[in-house]
Amino acid sequence: MSDPTSMLPDQHPRRSLAWRVWAASTQSLAVKSEGLVVQQAGENDSAMAERCGLIDLTVLERTGFRGRQAAEHLESLDLPVPDAPNRAAVGTQGETVLRLSARELWVLSAAEDDGQHVRRMANQPLPTKDCYALYCQHSHAWLVLAGRYRAAVMAKLCGVDLRESAFPVGHIAQTSVARSNAIVVHHQWGRQPVFSLFCDSASADYLWEALLDAMAEFEGGPVGLAALV
Amino acid sequence: MKMMPCPLNGLRNISEFVYGGEVTDMPDHTTCSDREWAEYVFYTDNQIQVVTEWWLHAPSSYWFIAERHTGSDEILRTYDPSERFTERVDFEQTEDNTTTGGGSGS
Repeated sequence: MSDPTSMLPDQHPRRSLAWRVWAASTQSLAVKSEGLVVQQAGENDSAMAERCGLIDLTVLERTGFRGRQAAEHLESLDLPVPDAPNRAAVGTQGETVLRLSARELWVLSAAEDDGQHVRRMANQPLPTKDCYALYCQHSHAWLVLAGRYRAAVMAKLCGVDLRESAFPVGHIAQTSVARSNAIVVHHQWGRQPVFSLFCDSASADYLWEALLDAMAEFEGGPVGLAALV
Repeated sequence: MKMMPCPLNGLRNISEFVYGGEVTDMPDHTTCSDREWAEYVFYTDNQIQVVTEWWLHAPSSYWFIAERHTGSDEILRTYDPSERFTERVDFEQTEDNTTTGGGSGS
């Protein structure tokens, strides 16, 4: 079998929803969670990620649970459950748990692993009552905005105050971003705090373009995974 | 910009919300008349008064209840539906896979 990282994105079976818009600005690819992500976008990825960088992590593993027993189910899997809706917490294995409402929880895979913990968790039997699986893997795209100008970029696209003073790490805002619905999560992912944006899969390439347009003022652009992890 | 307080997400622009109709008590679908069911599903009072309505916060797909004055358009209160609805409503299926008891069906 040929080396997956030397393939063109359209030749890999598991690729992002927005690969067409970032394929041209990619220097090298990596395989993570059995899917293709950008390993390096350009020569100055690290400096860009420190200022404001964007990466598409849609292929990375995530899962969700809904129902009265959803919180108990996650606790039985040794994951932390945030005590209020619109809050996020990080587990001992690096997974991020999002509490989107009183009875809806998502789990994002850690930056350091290959999604195996989340995959194993998704395959665990559910409680017999009041806990249902949420298939957020394919319904949503996952874009990550990193860098010190991330709140300033979002101020151009979103009506909610996302500055550190009002929206610290561990907070979630479900709101309108560039007139498209999105979940914005402020959390530590890899080496630095980032905004993870989850939007409808059909809006992925639109939101990618809208974010890049807003980032241009801050000399931001696409970055690779190596700059974050 | 008009704002609305969402019980889950806080104060947000009204453009993030979708109107879902008045909150009214559901009649017993197995015994009510077609007229009563139509009143429940389609008709509104349309009076100048405080009304209780369903609203959806679209980015979080969260349905809640709001009390609004139809004259001033002032939103007086919003709250989670669990304050009003404490039990799940299930519809019993009949053998021919219908759920209603009345009506001619034509």
